[in-house]
Amino acid sequence: MKENHWLRDHWLILLTGVVVGTAALILTAAGNPKNMGFCIACFERDIAGALGLHSAAKVQYIRPEIIGIVLGSLLAAVAAKEFRGRAGSSPACRFVLGLFVMIGALVFLGCPLRMVIRLGGGDLTAVAGLLGFVAGILVGIVFLKKGFSLGRAYSVRKGEGLMLPGVMVILLVLLVAAPQLLKFSEEGPGSMRAFWLVSLIAGLVVGALAQRSRLCMAGGLRDVFLLKDYTLLTGFLAIWVTVTVGNLIMGKYNFSAVSQPVAHSQYLWSFLGMALAGWGSILLGGCPLRQLILAGEGNGDSGVTVLGMIVGAAVAHNFGLAGNPDSVVDGIYKVGGIGTHGMVAVVLGFVVLLVISLLHLPGKEEA
Amino acid sequence: MRKKELRTIAAFHTTAAAMAAERLCRREGLEGRLIPVPRSVTSDCGIAWSAPAELRDTLELRFREAGLEVAGVYLLSV
Repeated sequence: MKENHWLRDHWLILLTGVVVGTAALILTAAGNPKNMGFCIACFERDIAGALGLHSAAKVQYIRPEIIGIVLGSLLAAVAAKEFRGRAGSSPACRFVLGLFVMIGALVFLGCPLRMVIRLGGGDLTAVAGLLGFVAGILVGIVFLKKGFSLGRAYSVRKGEGLMLPGVMVILLVLLVAAPQLLKFSEEGPGSMRAFWLVSLIAGLVVGALAQRSRLCMAGGLRDVFLLKDYTLLTGFLAIWVTVTVGNLIMGKYNFSAVSQPVAHSQYLWSFLGMALAGWGSILLGGCPLRQLILAGEGNGDSGVTVLGMIVGAAVAHNFGLAGNPDSVVDGIYKVGGIGTHGMVAVVLGFVVLLVISLLHLPGKEEA
Repeated sequence: MRKKELRTIAAFHTTAAAMAAERLCRREGLEGRLIPVPRSVTSDCGIAWSAPAELRDTLELRFREAGLEVAGVYLLSV
């Protein structure tokens, strides 16, 4: 009998995509905001709010999904003897890149993972984000082909690699044992949440599977354009198909470009926001989800990137850079989107990414 | 469906080094192509150079002469 090589090579990434999509549907049914079962950018933004790093009252909560993803990755890596302390690949640049990836994602209102989940809910406004994400990745690939590199990471003590998982454990302890110290939204997306244990378990499962399969939204498209390899993209597509089918079965599929949950129809800025996130993700070597997974495996540089993203979320809300969803006010449909501050921040983000890209091409240090 | 075969897989610490390896091999007419690093080699999602198994020694020598830092060279069925 002919052996099915494709299935043998892709079953894990397919399984991961199906599990991530199913977990997103379950979390939404259990209380998370619509089309936001998982969103790395939104959830890190909520964590920044819960810690008082920004004061946007509607988006504050310690999201156990983020904690679970990092700790799930840690546990899977330890079990497979793949946990290794590594660091030293331009951490300051990674912090700044993480900050602007977050700003780009919050302009769009979602990380690449939520972009797929929004598409799976029938949200046509997310198509602009997808096109922007692809455009950003293509720009990043141009610089990769020119030799862009943030430099290699080196082996370091395990303690360095345990820093971000340690921070996550502290956040979990605060959430469970001392929630009165934190700020929790009483209305808006931050107030919509599944029971913490359900969220934590979903995060643990997704983190472990993503560590084993290397699921990455940006890496999937990079491999397609650069290597003509579709393995990681399979996970991306599995999430989209699972969420689409699940929403259709539950009668929650809304194929439309208007009145989508926590989304806006300012298409140009959705495109540019995700272009910023896509370009930055390629320079970082992975999307926001992948950064959490790498941090769980002991990568201190990714830990710094995650901290940069959390600070980016605080900056986005303290300076009014993040997108506002479309809404209906007194029966009139009001288009949301970003204001002048947000537009300036996106343009500034492109300038910063260009400078970092140019400064890390071959030959710049030898002069 | 492409059949699996034994190949020399060279993994690098950075994507830039893998792409430099590709340029070197193209310049010198050494057969091969860039692939995602096999999962059995590392959990990193970087890029590796895949070449015919018999080129292992040649590649190791040429990469060393060119100053390309290699994370590891493996013989794998891919």
